[in-house]
Amino acid sequence: MPSTQNPPVAGAAVDPPSVRPQIDDATIERVAPADLRARLEALKSDGYSMLVDLGAVDYLQREPRFDVVYHLLKLAPKPASVAEVGRPARMRVLCGVDEGQRLPSVMDLWKSADWAEREVFDLFGIVFEGHIDLRRIQMPHDWEGYPLRKDYPMRGPERERSPRPAFAGKSNVVAGTPPSGRTFEALQEEVKRARES
Amino acid sequence: MSVYTKPLSDDVVSRTDNTMVLSMGPQHPSTHGVLQIVLEIDGESVVKADPEIGYLHTGIEKTAEGLFWTQAQTAIERMDYLAPESNSLCYALGVEKLLGITDRIPERAQVVRVLVAELTRIASHCVWLGTHGIDLGAISVFFYCFDLRENILDLQEATGGARMHPNYVRIGGLNGDLPDGAIARLDALIAKFPGRMRELRGLLQANPIFQDRTIDVGYLSPDDAIQYGVTGPSLRGSGIAYDVRKAYPYCGYETYDFDVPTRTEGDAYARFLVRLDEMEQSMRIVEQARRRLETPGPVMIDDTKVALPPKETIALSMEALIHHFKLISEGFRVPPGDVYQPVEGPRGELGYYIVSSGENRPYRVRTRPASLYNLQALKCIAPGNLIADLVVMIGSLDPVFGEVDR
Repeated sequence: MPSTQNPPVAGAAVDPPSVRPQIDDATIERVAPADLRARLEALKSDGYSMLVDLGAVDYLQREPRFDVVYHLLKLAPKPASVAEVGRPARMRVLCGVDEGQRLPSVMDLWKSADWAEREVFDLFGIVFEGHIDLRRIQMPHDWEGYPLRKDYPMRGPERERSPRPAFAGKSNVVAGTPPSGRTFEALQEEVKRARES
Repeated sequence: MSVYTKPLSDDVVSRTDNTMVLSMGPQHPSTHGVLQIVLEIDGESVVKADPEIGYLHTGIEKTAEGLFWTQAQTAIERMDYLAPESNSLCYALGVEKLLGITDRIPERAQVVRVLVAELTRIASHCVWLGTHGIDLGAISVFFYCFDLRENILDLQEATGGARMHPNYVRIGGLNGDLPDGAIARLDALIAKFPGRMRELRGLLQANPIFQDRTIDVGYLSPDDAIQYGVTGPSLRGSGIAYDVRKAYPYCGYETYDFDVPTRTEGDAYARFLVRLDEMEQSMRIVEQARRRLETPGPVMIDDTKVALPPKETIALSMEALIHHFKLISEGFRVPPGDVYQPVEGPRGELGYYIVSSGENRPYRVRTRPASLYNLQALKCIAPGNLIADLVVMIGSLDPVFGEVDR
């Protein structure tokens, strides 16, 4: 079943999106974490009134590891017809951030950032400084780990802890040691011992 | 503490003396799914509402990373389960941009895509209207709505074999052409629709009880709507005619003649009227698409690197057999890159930010869920209203929790 196989380990193969050819409407810009807040403030005062979306991507083997992606839309906050709205400009701001590195929160600029930042924190473990209510949103509050990270096992840590039968000759852990601390070989050993006893 | 109990945030618990905290949901019948709202109330009026989501989180974005590009579509359709075609259409458009085949999608496939996307919008609005009516005690509306939706689901079943998740829109085109008899059913639906719409309007639009419950309830100013990232009918109910179909046309929407209904009142009644008008506009598009269906043609891109070769060629051609085997066993590869593709779903701007690493599986599929951002605006519109009006406000924002929680 393909769903239990590894996702591709290709973090290093992905170019930073800023150097790739652009195929959608947005203007793409890459910003360093230190300049992020100032740049977003400038964009907000430039008329980018809506934060359409805020997400993250985990490029496991790249430095810096994560990309936090801000999708902005230039929409006038007043009643307008279709012709007045026209084709609003779109902006995509990417910000590379390393594990443990913090980003400034933008929920005072755009209120829509509130849940979006909570979700990125919940699923990737990226902390937004200045967010007034940064707690888990999708996962239970006492959940361990960050599920959308690439080194988080596809089938969840519970499955990872139980030894798997020998015919499952593939590990669903992408790289490194799983959170359980047991590598694939150790699991195989355990199954072997259980069979012999 | 149970896994399913989330701690309250400090600012909800620290309240003034006159207020109390009340938990509404997550199994309340009027919350349209599993939504919990932690309310701070002063008597009967809401001082603060803090929606708690995540009870339906199923990790669809993570699941999609482990599936082939085509397989991921089956998971993605399950996010907004009331409008599966919008989800799969958005994803397919995004992947087609990454593949660089957007210009080569056959004309007939584009027309049928528009057709199913608009039908799914009507079906989704039917569920919204029926449940919105039930919330306010208008039970009979529900049956009329679901009868209409049933006709559309029958069509969906005819196209893809499944009522709820047909997986009909595929990367490169469609699963297949419309089956025999689908056009006749569609014509019957088009003929039935105006009368049914009149009935629905007659039941609610001028109903004094319905008006009392919705007018001036849940006011959302255009400024707040933009701040909270509200899109779709909820944004247009506040007067801003932003519609992705007009702003960034896809599938040839620029060639269809339709209006974008807006209201400037910004209350629950305005959002109700916008959605009703939108159903009629959708049917206008469906009628135009129906007329374009007279010309036959292919519905899948002529590129065996993406699309399965016709079944009858497999026995005759070695090439076709190889392509068939390769596509089924390892899928196709998509050039590295990232793309953000928006479409106008029934709830607003539905977007997919898709990152490809050049493999046969998506590296990351980030959904921009319209419901999540619309629901977030509840924090803004609920304070000052009565608890009893909260169900009106939730209903008027039309969240779908498969999409909110994913």
